Amino acid sequence: MSAAAEHEAVAEREVSDRPILDPALAPPFPVAALLVLRNSQLRKNVAHAIDVIQAKRARLVAEKQDWQELRSAAALIRDEALENLSVYLEQFEARCTAAGGTVHWASDAADARRIILELLREEKADEVIKIKTMTSAEIQLNPFLEANGIRTYETDLAEIILQLGEGEPSHIVVPALHVNRSQVREIFARRMGIENLSDEPEALTAAARNYLRQKFLSVPTAISGANFLIAETGSVAVVESEGNGRMCLTLPRTMITLAGIEKVLPRFADLEVMLQLLARSATGERMNPYTSLWTGVTPGDGPQKFHVVLLDNGRSSILARKTERQTLRCIRCAACMNACPVYRQTGGHAYGSVYPGPIGAILTPQLEQMRHAQSLPYASSLCGACFEVCPVKINIPEVLLELRARVTDDERKQVSRFFDPLYLGLRVANVIFSRAWLSHLAQWAGRIVLGLFTRKDGWIHALPGIGAKWTQTRDLRGLPKQAFHDWWADRQRGKK
Amino acid sequence: MRPVASSRQQVLGRIRAACCGGQNPAATAEEAAERYERLPRDYRTRGKSTVRACQELFIERLREYDAEVVECAPEELGAMIAAQLEASGRHMFVAPPGLPAGWLVPAAWQISDFEWNIDHNLPADEIERAQGVVTGCFCGVADSGTIVLHHSATEGRRVITLLPDWYLCVVRASQIVETLPEYFDRCDQPPALVTWISGPSATADIEMTRIKGVHGPRFLNVIVVNDREQGTGIRE
Repeated sequence: MSAAAEHEAVAEREVSDRPILDPALAPPFPVAALLVLRNSQLRKNVAHAIDVIQAKRARLVAEKQDWQELRSAAALIRDEALENLSVYLEQFEARCTAAGGTVHWASDAADARRIILELLREEKADEVIKIKTMTSAEIQLNPFLEANGIRTYETDLAEIILQLGEGEPSHIVVPALHVNRSQVREIFARRMGIENLSDEPEALTAAARNYLRQKFLSVPTAISGANFLIAETGSVAVVESEGNGRMCLTLPRTMITLAGIEKVLPRFADLEVMLQLLARSATGERMNPYTSLWTGVTPGDGPQKFHVVLLDNGRSSILARKTERQTLRCIRCAACMNACPVYRQTGGHAYGSVYPGPIGAILTPQLEQMRHAQSLPYASSLCGACFEVCPVKINIPEVLLELRARVTDDERKQVSRFFDPLYLGLRVANVIFSRAWLSHLAQWAGRIVLGLFTRKDGWIHALPGIGAKWTQTRDLRGLPKQAFHDWWADRQRGKK
Repeated sequence: MRPVASSRQQVLGRIRAACCGGQNPAATAEEAAERYERLPRDYRTRGKSTVRACQELFIERLREYDAEVVECAPEELGAMIAAQLEASGRHMFVAPPGLPAGWLVPAAWQISDFEWNIDHNLPADEIERAQGVVTGCFCGVADSGTIVLHHSATEGRRVITLLPDWYLCVVRASQIVETLPEYFDRCDQPPALVTWISGPSATADIEMTRIKGVHGPRFLNVIVVNDREQGTGIRE
């Protein structure tokens, strides 16, 4: 079966299925994108949400006169943290431990899942409340805990919508942005058993509040992610809007925080830069409603047992590469996906990862150690809009190109791709273009062959076989009657 | 399960190899600190507005978040708090243990059916029963309309400003700074607990429509006390 036919077959199979966000199993981007492009409701929902965020962000960034200086400082602070990552992580570990927390290290996803399960078993927990964390989605924590008999309750409104509706996140800040109000109404009415629920966002929000209130007050164990770890103090910061985070951070007995190793900042005062950039970039607000920072355990206030699980899961391999390292500066604001013309059309599911959009296109293949998600570096027009909005100045197009080179280097070494038309063509081209006479000959032959398909208007509208891949969607200009070097040679002769 | 130490060594080993495999010698904490100090910071750290303009900006930004804001003179504070409590139409309130005595003036106590619960480690369900809460704060940031709590005795434990649906925060004008970096400048030592509050609890998860009040307080009320001209201390 040809690659294209294989893609089609996968596409047919997946039509009605839940999107696959495991990069090892997900179909390639063009195939997954095709499904979304046929779903006009989803495209409408995504475009609407993106337009709203983009307009708000643009207004608030414009009013900030030192925006570029903040971006530069943020990039340098993040670079410094990455350059001396082991120093800062050890500092964080020491301070957090001194403040009554326990730090665990997880080299990969399985390691992290195992550590968290053991901690929950120690607590004899059969249910757990969760603050939205993309890192937990990355290690597929919820299905693992459910399989081990522990019920997970997502508490972020968007995550509730997805959990109850059995959907998948399509955005890292507003994960249910592809779901509209009437779809939310349907999910809540069905799963919470509420009759006569209106589709007004106020009513839906109130339903979520009631649904979770008792859980907050009764479930003794919570899991969170982290927006920032502070090396200087051993503190953890969580940025949120709804107050579900604060609920999880104050009411339970035990808190487990899962954080990527790259989340560390050298000092507490670095937040003065990050907090100014994050909310404006993420949701187009001057500041998000709630940001919480805590340090280990505070007697009498909040959980009296606190664990941090520091997750590597491929991050250290990104650190080792000069161009790609900047990927780890990311503070997960999602401005890049909101700005991306490709994401706007396809939404998040097409990326086959919990990290969609431009940042996902560079992060996912690297976290997968380039074994999966190889189509993602190509899921971009390289227009640079993502780089322009990135609050920590990640040059995403530069990293995309680097990753494309790595994908290509890897592919052309594969025996199975020896007769792949692309690599075959490039090898032939390599031979032809390195010899002038062959090049002339090829041009001469090309003019004759293409001449057969060139219409009177000088354009080629349809080509047979593999050439149709081009002419299906655009016309090709016919070759001129005379090549430049022939014209030049004639001219030189004329002079003499 | 693998011993914890082995994962730790493995991860730290990979990081050290990644960062220091090239020309960089292994950095020590001192070297890192030195490099850190040299990082350029060209963004705005000081505000440019006058004291009054800064205060007005703070109030304007809070109102944009749908917070109710009133101003009063220091000697009017007790009466103002009482008036706000009465206007809220609520009866059961919780307060942190360190609230200045003058804030809960007799006038407030005499309003017939007010019930106060001072938080001496109240269980969560008792706080949940309270309809409102009154606290002070550490700082107000005008640029983003942010109230900062360090959870001292006047600000209370984190949970008391979370469960009640109605929150009244008293901000003294001398506590208001214009920019976020000015707040960080006011922290002599990094605090162990911080909550930055910018408006009532909200979400935009459904079609990016901002809805007030999900799990935190739905109503944020702020009293700004004009204490500047009396030259009172800046910090708590």
